[in-house]
Amino acid sequence: MVILRFERVCKSFRRREGSKLALDHVSFGLERGQIMGIFGPSGAGKTTLLRVAAGLEAPDSGIVAYNDERLSEMSTAQHRRYRRRSVGCVWAGQSWMPGLSVREHVELPLLIDGCDNRTARRAALKFLLACEAGECAELMPDELSDGERRRAAIARALIIEPQLLLVDGAVSGLSIVEQEQIMELLAELAQDANVAVLVADTNAGQLLRVDPIVYMRDGKLIGTEPPDERGKLYTLPTPASHPSAADA
Amino acid sequence: MSTKHALLGLLLEGSSYPYQLADRLQDRLGPGWAVGSGQVSNTIRQMEKEGLIEPTASGVREHKRRRFVSITESGEREFDDWLDAVLVAVKLPRRPELLKITLAGPERLSTAVEHIDAYEESCMRRLNEFLDARDSIPRQRARVRADYVLLRLNLSADISLLEGELQRAREVRETLLWLHSQPNAIWPSTAARSSSQAAPAWRAARNEIFEGMASTRREQPKPERLDR
Repeated sequence: MVILRFERVCKSFRRREGSKLALDHVSFGLERGQIMGIFGPSGAGKTTLLRVAAGLEAPDSGIVAYNDERLSEMSTAQHRRYRRRSVGCVWAGQSWMPGLSVREHVELPLLIDGCDNRTARRAALKFLLACEAGECAELMPDELSDGERRRAAIARALIIEPQLLLVDGAVSGLSIVEQEQIMELLAELAQDANVAVLVADTNAGQLLRVDPIVYMRDGKLIGTEPPDERGKLYTLPTPASHPSAADA
Repeated sequence: MSTKHALLGLLLEGSSYPYQLADRLQDRLGPGWAVGSGQVSNTIRQMEKEGLIEPTASGVREHKRRRFVSITESGEREFDDWLDAVLVAVKLPRRPELLKITLAGPERLSTAVEHIDAYEESCMRRLNEFLDARDSIPRQRARVRADYVLLRLNLSADISLLEGELQRAREVRETLLWLHSQPNAIWPSTAARSSSQAAPAWRAARNEIFEGMASTRREQPKPERLDR
């Protein structure tokens, strides 16, 4: 069953130098229990796609539907409910509030939703433990390693028990073990909790256990990575003039 | 290292005798290159037979007893040919430790970790040695000393390599310890199994949460919570 559907979605941003098309007729469907990966270079539109899916940006045209219900046709209350209870988000470089411990951050979504302190605290500890970040509960976010911070952010996104999880920059810059841990967690979330997971990263090699993996460039989903894009990370420098005997 | 060509290059800068050549080579290349005076003497004898170098008078009184050699025209041609040959093949360092780890299997992971600890220690020792060598290059005054700059370049290349090795060793250890703690990891050898360990505490919490989430899905629609 398709839980998230994009149909010819376009989104552009106004810039000083003109309009930039961040999403160019993007269409796909994400099913429950599916973990889909989007990868592509920086500026390809991955984050915009996730923000539109999260209901944080409205598309210029096209349809974004959650459980066959268009986000654009939801009432304000429905839209709010969607953002608070149905979709969990983990953003690259997620901001953490100063003065709050990791556990207090994870509790926040429940407290905002009217949950009592004790229940929120118990749930936060349990979700942190489930995300292999139990030992970090009473630490401050800046005391954590990158991998721990990423797992704590996932715990925070999961505490509302969403049906859809959006993860931007899931494993960039993490060690092999941290990548394995996070991708195992996301894969189990899809398989065992039947959650739909959409993961975006710059490197397809890091999107372990993800199927399908779609390449994105210039706001378009274009299936597999085009051959001319491969190996772009390392390019030869512009040929410089070589010293010759005459220069010596 | 091609000792022969390195010595020809030094002799292009002026005649010298074997011990001095060995010292000069070591000074110019740094501790990353093993230069033995025996090897230098043998190579010089061989080069003399090949006509690449020839005995010469030093012209300096205190060096009268030294056996000075200088480069011949044939030696200069040999050096030029070597210098002009284009090197395109990239050689990657092979790591015997990683080969052992790849084939150790789950039962011997802890031994592999001990090996990695020893390798990390060795990397650190070498790294400190290179950092000391780089620090000991005399500071240049107004004019640039090309040999100092090039020595610094040589040492920096090895330092980057050793820093990479150190980082790799640490990641290998982290990965091995993690694999060691995974009772359900699948290994290529069916006979070998990792030691039976209790499931970690997070496993029970995760299973409970995920099962709860899956069953909530089945009981749709979800009951409304307080909506503010």
